[in-house]
Amino acid sequence: MAAPCMSCRGTVSCRLLLWKTAAAELQTNVRSQILGPSHTAAATRKKNVPALKHETYTVDFIKKQIEEFNIGKRHLANMMREDPESFTQEDIDKAIAYLFPSGLFEKEARPIMKHPELIFPKQRAIQWGEDGRPFHYLFYTGKQSYYSLMHDVYGIQRPDWLIKEELEEMLVEKLSDRDYMQFIHLLEKLLTLQYGAAEEEFVQRFRRSVIIQSKKQLIEPMQYDEQGMAFSKSEGKRKTAKAEAIVYEHGSGRIKVNGIDYLHYFPIMRDREQLMFPFHFVDRLGKLDMTCTVSGGGRLAQAGAVRLAMAKALCSFLTEDEVEWIRQAGLLTADPRVRERKKPGQEGARRKFTWKKR
Amino acid sequence: MAAPAVKVSRGWSGLALVVRRAVLQHPGLTQVRWSRYSAEFKDPLIDKEHYRKPVEKLTEEEKYDRELKKTQLIKAAPAANTSSVFEDPVVSKFTNMMMKGGNKILARSLMTQTLEAVKRKQFEKYHAASAEEQATIERNPYTIFHQALRNCEPMIGLVPILRGGRVYQVPISLPDRRRRFLAMKWMITECRENKHRRMLMPEKLSQELLEAFHNQGPVIKRKHDMHKMAEANRALAHYRWW
Repeated sequence: MAAPCMSCRGTVSCRLLLWKTAAAELQTNVRSQILGPSHTAAATRKKNVPALKHETYTVDFIKKQIEEFNIGKRHLANMMREDPESFTQEDIDKAIAYLFPSGLFEKEARPIMKHPELIFPKQRAIQWGEDGRPFHYLFYTGKQSYYSLMHDVYGIQRPDWLIKEELEEMLVEKLSDRDYMQFIHLLEKLLTLQYGAAEEEFVQRFRRSVIIQSKKQLIEPMQYDEQGMAFSKSEGKRKTAKAEAIVYEHGSGRIKVNGIDYLHYFPIMRDREQLMFPFHFVDRLGKLDMTCTVSGGGRLAQAGAVRLAMAKALCSFLTEDEVEWIRQAGLLTADPRVRERKKPGQEGARRKFTWKKR
Repeated sequence: MAAPAVKVSRGWSGLALVVRRAVLQHPGLTQVRWSRYSAEFKDPLIDKEHYRKPVEKLTEEEKYDRELKKTQLIKAAPAANTSSVFEDPVVSKFTNMMMKGGNKILARSLMTQTLEAVKRKQFEKYHAASAEEQATIERNPYTIFHQALRNCEPMIGLVPILRGGRVYQVPISLPDRRRRFLAMKWMITECRENKHRRMLMPEKLSQELLEAFHNQGPVIKRKHDMHKMAEANRALAHYRWW
């Protein structure tokens, strides 16, 4: 499928849009000319051995694509009556979605317009000179970047390392699982030793940026009712039970569930313990009042839902440290476990039918 | 003994970021047993004192751990755990082992009745005893429970090993958790099987616990039997390779 020709006001070139699937077509159209530094002619024309086995692009081709992309971007900005200088990638996406609405289910098959570096895969330049001698001293290992990296790590540890795919992308080399795990092993060992600022920078390259989780926690705002008492509302759920809790700031520790005292609604001690858990953990057992409504689920699921709602509502009355404590105690996470479905060919979710020899 | 709890299969899946230790030792293997939480979630820690510690008293390592914890996702606390002072992990484990068909309410009520019965019996003895003996009688049911289970733990266990077509019972030293499990298991089987038809579980269990506390009774006897068999088979000890 050739790239579609667009004639918008006659000023736009034919290659304004690049379909991602058509990129593959383009590769076959472009002759496999080898990427290389300044020398082109004799040696490379004789033996067209590409650096990689599959399609390659020339540096010139990529440059041309980038120029066309930039020009196209400006045209698009003019079309949409936006300022060409401050036309971001998001604006491009929105404009393309507006101009070419597509009903295709597969998101990757819809028309896109992105910077060529994101579309064409990164490739390695040719690794040897005119005389056939390779540039890197570890070329004959087959994975020169990887082994040189291993050398560096050995020469000089945490869970947020880059994953294998990202590392492959960074080194532009294919890695096996064993290689990757060995590398991570070394990095972890390195972490156990103390290192200075230079090593820190080196290690930083392989780490993903880490977010402080407690910042993500939404704290419910405090509201004030008619008597001037502060309260906060929140929701929680567990399995199929849904609960909504209102925690009042000054009270004597009364808890009402669906209008009934919790002693009568939850006659089992274990459920009541779950309700008291968040208050007890922050030492405010007899100081806060609570009202809640709950529906659905079973006995313990309702108790879990109320516990979650309570903990979330409680957050607005606590300091930041205390919020972090109850988060680490697991009170603010919604339990994702639900009943597993029964599968066909089995008696239950996991249990298989009795095996009969004949 | 490598990675017993992790079922593995050939192939590699996407979870590479935090690779479990067991899988690290076997490269190229995926975990088959899955959970609704993704691999980054850590277990929650429910200990009030741990969080209330003032910042000055922490060591460097602890400070680092705290900072690290702030960035990690935590699983939800299970329904059986609370921060109550009455909670005991050993008692919870024992209750779970006693439970049948998921009837936790029944198991827990049996457990509380057992502890109450133990306490009553000890108090009766206390009031009936003279002044010097009163000092030696232990009345806290939790200490009695823990001590009784510790007395029942075997030191050496037997493991069946296949050699040349024949299965030999080889004596080996047991890891801690296996010992605790065996003690609890023996206690429960003993109370279920060898009791009078009309006797209730709490009564029988309290009886057994008190006997085990004093190093007597059928469970202790079973432990000694295990030791004797291990002693008898000690010639086979060289079959062990780990």
